[in-house]
Amino acid sequence: MKSLTRTFRWELLLVGLIVLAFVWGSFLSPYFLNLNNLVFSAQTFVIFALMAFGLFPIVVQGEIDISLASTLAVGSVLFATFSVNGIPLIVALPVVIAICAGLGAINGYLVAYLGLPSLAVTLGTLGAYRGLAYILAGDAGVTGITQEYKQIAEIWLGGIPLLLIMIPVAALLFGVLMGWTRFGRASYAIGNSADASRMAGMNVNLNRVGAYALAGAMSGLAGLVWVAQYQSARGDNADGTILFVVTAVVLGGVSIKGGSGRALGVFLALLLLATLQTGMRLANVPGTSQTLVIGLLLILSVGVPSLVSQLRQRFGAKKPATPAFLPSEGETAGSEGASAPTEKV
Amino acid sequence: MSGSNATTPSLKERLGFTGGAAALRVRFFGVIGFLVALIVIFTTMSDRFLTGDNWRSILFSAAILMVIAASQAIVVLTGNLDLSVGSIMGLVAYVVYDIGGMNEAFGPFAIPFGLLIGLVLGAINGYLVAYLEIPSIVATLGTLSVYRGFVSFYANAQQVTVEELPRYMRDLAQATWLGLPAYVWVAIAVVLLVALVLRRTPWGRQVYAYGSNPKAAYFFGLNSRRIILQAYAVSGMVAAFGGLLLGAQIGNINSLLANGWEMQALAAVVIGGVSIWGGSGSVIGAAIGAIVLATINNGLVLLHVQEFYRLLIQGTAIIVAVGVDAIVQRKVLSATTRRRIMEVEQ
Repeated sequence: MKSLTRTFRWELLLVGLIVLAFVWGSFLSPYFLNLNNLVFSAQTFVIFALMAFGLFPIVVQGEIDISLASTLAVGSVLFATFSVNGIPLIVALPVVIAICAGLGAINGYLVAYLGLPSLAVTLGTLGAYRGLAYILAGDAGVTGITQEYKQIAEIWLGGIPLLLIMIPVAALLFGVLMGWTRFGRASYAIGNSADASRMAGMNVNLNRVGAYALAGAMSGLAGLVWVAQYQSARGDNADGTILFVVTAVVLGGVSIKGGSGRALGVFLALLLLATLQTGMRLANVPGTSQTLVIGLLLILSVGVPSLVSQLRQRFGAKKPATPAFLPSEGETAGSEGASAPTEKV
Repeated sequence: MSGSNATTPSLKERLGFTGGAAALRVRFFGVIGFLVALIVIFTTMSDRFLTGDNWRSILFSAAILMVIAASQAIVVLTGNLDLSVGSIMGLVAYVVYDIGGMNEAFGPFAIPFGLLIGLVLGAINGYLVAYLEIPSIVATLGTLSVYRGFVSFYANAQQVTVEELPRYMRDLAQATWLGLPAYVWVAIAVVLLVALVLRRTPWGRQVYAYGSNPKAAYFFGLNSRRIILQAYAVSGMVAAFGGLLLGAQIGNINSLLANGWEMQALAAVVIGGVSIWGGSGSVIGAAIGAIVLATINNGLVLLHVQEFYRLLIQGTAIIVAVGVDAIVQRKVLSATTRRRIMEVEQ
């Protein structure tokens, strides 16, 4: 039991925070605990959730993708265009998802096979894909979505909208994917040490491309949700939302250095962020001021554990203090050459 | 011991210098070559491109980005990055000009006060990265939200209007010195100052040393944490200055001023040949990267290319720049490794 609470310490913390946020929210406004309110505000987070779960394996592998919101824009514009041109959803869905997965795979190829830093690559594709979405959508964007596409947002299963069910389903699928499949286990191994994984015979590059393609596909799916919910698509769809997505993943306990984190954590982090935002919206906190709270949460969630472990190291166990700020893998290997002469002398 | 200490770094520096300098030269001239190629392309395609007026406007639109690119470069050189520059710019511009608007006597202190705020905000970033050991993407992603949220909170949906700005800042934004907008001269001065500090002062050399090899810097006895903290603080100060310039140029400031500039700044730095791995590249290169971005924007407008293609082209330029950077990095690495092996054989 004790080991279980230790393993899921982060998730327990998140659950505690969610409970606190719920209590705070219900004190704030009598409308907060209204089921309709909760369901409707939760629906706006489906798009972020899909992107967050897509980003999750990439971060576990120790990389990042900040171009996902732009991929979403491409996906939503494509779905809208297909819809307006009368192409049935059953045809559009695999085509668009495949295109978005392809966009993700381009990121993955540049990162894995060409060895480029993922932040810089996806910074580039962030602009490039966004430009692509603008070009496809034209000045005015695409409107006049057909009923077939819109109705996705209108299906309710047992009192809950279908779109909302996608969040726990995605959480479950990604939990299984990362916990019990070859790809998932390889992702954690790569995140811990890409070099060791390579020497152990894993195809690191292929796994990387796979993770990026999966994230692209998830963003494409989020594009469909966007079209169904907002009934239009423009080039600037979801612009700037990637910060929220990264926050959700990191707050979920997924180390940005790679190698650890669980889908359950990401799910709980999304729940916490959604609860907080809904509460703040009811309290009439303007959207931009809400970012203050979310940013603080992000810093505290990473900073406090780090501070605690540092203090413990200093005052607790008498281990020799290792310079923890030294980058552990890859990074230093690149410039080993210059240091060697000094060490020899 | 002290004797060997005196000779060792010079030997190391000599070795590092030849390899690093070669790489730098390739990268630096790569950026200039890219700029020249752009100029040639745009000149052949539009006869209005190579006019004095047009160049004045390119440089003017690049000026503030040059300052911000210099600020970002300081941090990138340590192997970290700062996503909160846009928020720092917005916060400093709004708060400083808001206080200045309420209080006439505050006017002359606007710049030093703004720099001080920038220094503190940068130091907070640095503290999070260096002492709390939060990866720089996460830490500055957080402060991006926090600083922006603070401005929004502080502004309370109000605006700072043109009349509230100090007179001299307005004048500076509109002035022309020696045929060029004053902002261009100011930007050049800031970039040269930052470049000089990084290249010629012991502190600047420590930033480069830490960035190029954190482990070696640690064993050499450099206080790594302090270097990172200081790099962020100085970077924040330069960003704050850029924010003040931008505020004075725009006039009516709301809480979203400079939103999204972190991406522009990173793009300029990367295109300018500063290695995203840290330790190599120059501030002047980053500033030229800013000019490249402004040239692309300007040229595409002259060619009546839709705004949309600009993003596509900029994005592609970033990826190409990083690709070139990676190739150079590998070349340098293989060269230095070979040298090391030869040394052992001797």
